[in-house]
Amino acid sequence: MPWFLHLALRQLFPPGKRFPAFATVSILGVALGVATLLVVQTVMNGFGEEHRKRIRESFGDCQVVADRPLARPDELVAQLRRAPEVASATAYAEGPALARRGDFSGVAAVRGIDPTDPAQPARRYIHGGSFDDLDDGRVILGLGLAQQLRVRIGDKIELWSPAMAERAEKGKAPLPAEFEVCAILRTGFTEVDNAAALIPLRRFREIWNLGPRAHGVILRLKEPARAEEIAGRLNVGHPDLVFRPWQAIKRNFLEAIRFEKTMLFFLMFIITLVASFSIGSTLFSAVIRRSREVGVLAALGAGRGALLALFGLQGLLIGALGTGLGFLLTGGILCFRDDILRAINAVFGDGDMVASVYQFANIPLHYDPADFVAAGVFTLLVTTLAGFVPALWAAGRKPSEAMRDA
Amino acid sequence: MPELVLQAKGLAKAFAAPAGPLPVLTAVSLEVRAGESVSIRGSSGSGKTTLLQLLGGLDLPDAGEVRVACDGGLVAPRSRLGRGVGFVFQNYQLMPELTALENVALAARIVGVPAAAATAAARELLGLVGLAARADHLPSRLSGGECQRVALARALVNRPAVLLADEPTGNLDERTAEEIMRLLLDIVAARGLALVLVTHSREFAERASRRLVLSGGVLSPA
Repeated sequence: MPWFLHLALRQLFPPGKRFPAFATVSILGVALGVATLLVVQTVMNGFGEEHRKRIRESFGDCQVVADRPLARPDELVAQLRRAPEVASATAYAEGPALARRGDFSGVAAVRGIDPTDPAQPARRYIHGGSFDDLDDGRVILGLGLAQQLRVRIGDKIELWSPAMAERAEKGKAPLPAEFEVCAILRTGFTEVDNAAALIPLRRFREIWNLGPRAHGVILRLKEPARAEEIAGRLNVGHPDLVFRPWQAIKRNFLEAIRFEKTMLFFLMFIITLVASFSIGSTLFSAVIRRSREVGVLAALGAGRGALLALFGLQGLLIGALGTGLGFLLTGGILCFRDDILRAINAVFGDGDMVASVYQFANIPLHYDPADFVAAGVFTLLVTTLAGFVPALWAAGRKPSEAMRDA
Repeated sequence: MPELVLQAKGLAKAFAAPAGPLPVLTAVSLEVRAGESVSIRGSSGSGKTTLLQLLGGLDLPDAGEVRVACDGGLVAPRSRLGRGVGFVFQNYQLMPELTALENVALAARIVGVPAAAATAAARELLGLVGLAARADHLPSRLSGGECQRVALARALVNRPAVLLADEPTGNLDERTAEEIMRLLLDIVAARGLALVLVTHSREFAERASRRLVLSGGVLSPA
């Protein structure tokens, strides 16, 4: 071990001392900064991932639409299913309708889906009832819409489609379509939950007079993250169709999440920077306190590089140990995140916001190795610099000057 | 005639002061040969420590030059810090976090001696100064006299041709000072080293083979 590393370790952890105050406080400072940065980043990543997943599950990985209903959707579905990137393809139709039950009514965004499709994402968001009960006489309602209509599972509602208005214009008696509520949907997306009404595609075509046509095709991809690239590739040879990847469906929302994460990273970066500056000032005063020792080391033949290494290494060691502890602390905090949140809610009397606002069973997480690498490299860099700056000052002094200082 | 191991010619040094440069040394010349001991006395502020720092290469003179014996020739001490001369300071200047053995070995490690060889040399020298049993003690567990013995061992570990001692007994009681001075002179004589001793004590200064006084920035025989 080089002498300067040996001395750096001894100066940080002096033998015979039970509590190396300087090292402990500095390492804890770095660890808390790193942990704060990573906990926020990981939770924000979790929220982002969860939202992205819900967007994909609510709207599909890629939507294929046109400026008019698809005339032969079954052919298109069959063709798209043959593409190697596509996991599944299913036609859908959608349109607004007036939903009514007794004196209560609301606007429903009705979607005709294939109830036999085992990959239907709505299956994962059933809040009550059963998805498998969906048939030509039944409907699945979004939670908000169900509350607006004051209906429960087993209640009956009427749907009035625009096609019925056309019928009335032609002098025929418009008859509403009657459905029994078989399940309640709760995705966490307010705009979906407040309006969704899922019925079988066959029944939708009937009510909307669509014939064999459909409004679009929903694609599930084998690699959803590459949806933008795959959509571009699938679009080749279909100039009349628009392939909308999930990233484009809710672009503003996703941008807002990304911006929020960037802003939080910036704020946490400042916190870590403040911690690093405090280490810098502590190291600086330590170097000044050791001014005579620096002079003695120079008198013993220690070169500028070795003196720089002596104090720079102390910064690096504080940074490395602080970062390691910060990683452990991050793991611990994230492991008990729900208990911590419950305790905070109990103290401040708040309800469970994660469940009530975000509809998450627990605080979502997504570990991104890049965040850990960035936080580690950044912290090591700043703490090493914090040690180097006073070391540069010390190493630049004449030994005689350094030894004169008390 | 013994080998010339320290040569200073026309050394001058002034420090900046609000009223202009304050000359401390004006024209100091000194030659010291192997086995010779030179004592330098002078009033406080006469520039004794400054002279020692110039001789050891810890500071550079405004004028003049210094040469010390190292690696078979006379070289500027600044270029051979830690090797050409060994320093013994008034306040011992030991690293508080290192044991006595580590303090001595550190001086050797700094100039590139491998750890095992440095430790072996340090252990031998601690034995020479009578501290073999306290090799693993931190300076805080040693008395002032013991700390100065460690400092003496450290000054010797790189086998310098010249020892520069700046008030080595200044912080010690009379009895311990006597022990340290005797040890220092014995070792210097036994190893054929040159010694430049800065001291306030007339008694210790008298024991050197050559006695000088620094006054008005000039060295003169006592």
